[in-house]
Amino acid sequence: MGLELSIAKKKEEERELSMIEVVLNDRLGKKVRVKCNDDDTIGDLKKLVAAQTGTRADKIRIQKWYTIYKDHITLKDYEIHDGMGLELYYN
Amino acid sequence: MANRTDPLAKSIRGTNPQNLVEKILRTKIYQHTYWKEQCFGLTAETLVDKAMELDHLGGTHGGTRKPTPFMCLVMKMLQIQPDKEIVVEFIKNPEYKYVRALGAFYLRLTGTDIDVYRYLEPLYNDYRKLRFKPNDGKFTLTHVDEFIDELLTKDYSCDIALPRLKKRLTLESVGSLEPRRSALEDDFEEEEEKDEDDLLADGLDSEEKDKDYNRVRSPARERDRDRKRDSHRYRDRDYDRDRDYDRDRDYDRDRDYDRDRDYDRDRDYDRDRGRGRDRDRDRDRHRLRDDKEYGRDRERRRRRSHSRSRSRSREHKDRDGDDRRRRHRSSASPKRDEPKKKKEKKAKKDDGTDHPDPEIAEQNRLRASLGLKPLKL
Repeated sequence: MGLELSIAKKKEEERELSMIEVVLNDRLGKKVRVKCNDDDTIGDLKKLVAAQTGTRADKIRIQKWYTIYKDHITLKDYEIHDGMGLELYYN
Repeated sequence: MANRTDPLAKSIRGTNPQNLVEKILRTKIYQHTYWKEQCFGLTAETLVDKAMELDHLGGTHGGTRKPTPFMCLVMKMLQIQPDKEIVVEFIKNPEYKYVRALGAFYLRLTGTDIDVYRYLEPLYNDYRKLRFKPNDGKFTLTHVDEFIDELLTKDYSCDIALPRLKKRLTLESVGSLEPRRSALEDDFEEEEEKDEDDLLADGLDSEEKDKDYNRVRSPARERDRDRKRDSHRYRDRDYDRDRDYDRDRDYDRDRDYDRDRDYDRDRDYDRDRGRGRDRDRDRDRHRLRDDKEYGRDRERRRRRSHSRSRSRSREHKDRDGDDRRRRHRSSASPKRDEPKKKKEKKAKKDDGTDHPDPEIAEQNRLRASLGLKPLKL
């Protein structure tokens, strides 16, 4: 009983969510710093970026080298950490 | 060479018609296989054949944003620029709904405002289903009239920014268009007449029912005041209901909510004083029931026939609790309101928009406007 409780607690700590700041750079001179939560999805991040840059959210594509990040997956699952740089492309 | 616009084509909105589609999307379409294979050397006639083969609408989809055949055909039409008669034929044809949608889309992009309203509004009567492929690639269902509504009201559709369209009111005031006649207008008039007849013909019940739905508080409260009483007062209930009804009607006509409510409240208070014990018992039990249940209970109750006193008084008690909660919300007992108000205020602060750090507060405000949860710190 005690062991299970401690395991459960550990899991909770791992899942602890925090605020991170992500830098998005499109190589044409637009550099955007966005504060967001760990558990935000890429789609949410796109909305935040769209609000800051003025483009439409569905025109934005976020990549890391050749990996295009999908809209429904969270930043935590993509292992995007604080201060990480992402590439900003347009559709 | 294949991507050049027809040199005889007019310029639309001051630019090459193909420029209506954004550069990135245009490039994507040119590189798409459907464009290269099927759309090479199309003319207006052969375009019709291709259009008849369409089976879904859409803009672009997937991670790399592939265009749909619908998009490619729109691009082709922009390139060859068919005559207006041909486009109108596309729109008017009744059998192929996707051809219709294609024509409508093209007209929305290239036609004048008056033409757009004139030819697209009749399509509001078309209720057929359309298959639509949004950005995530999973097909959804839409209808022709929904699609037309989107074209006429929104400024972005199928990944193309639609040109500005003047508002209908502006055109009507200038006189270039007649005021909109809906195809359902005759049906609406019939409905209105029917409603009026019903009101006159039916008895008390339906009218009270309507009143309940339209004006939430006063009629219900009046009637419920009666329910609190014990069984022997059933007689009184009828009496009161009649009285209430008459008073209601007058008040309805005058639309004097406040006066009605105040009057009721005074009456309630006087009568309530005698029923202290009931009130205490009921208040706690039923505070949390919501209005929907209350409404449902009332319906059920009304339908039930005259039942035994004991069951009825129990029913009365049930109803009382809900009613009490509603009544209190207005003002009969000020103490009750405060805890609720506090709750609402607290919910607002959870938004994080009042954070001491202005930067974070602004971020939270933006997130709230987008529908996201506030930042976790």
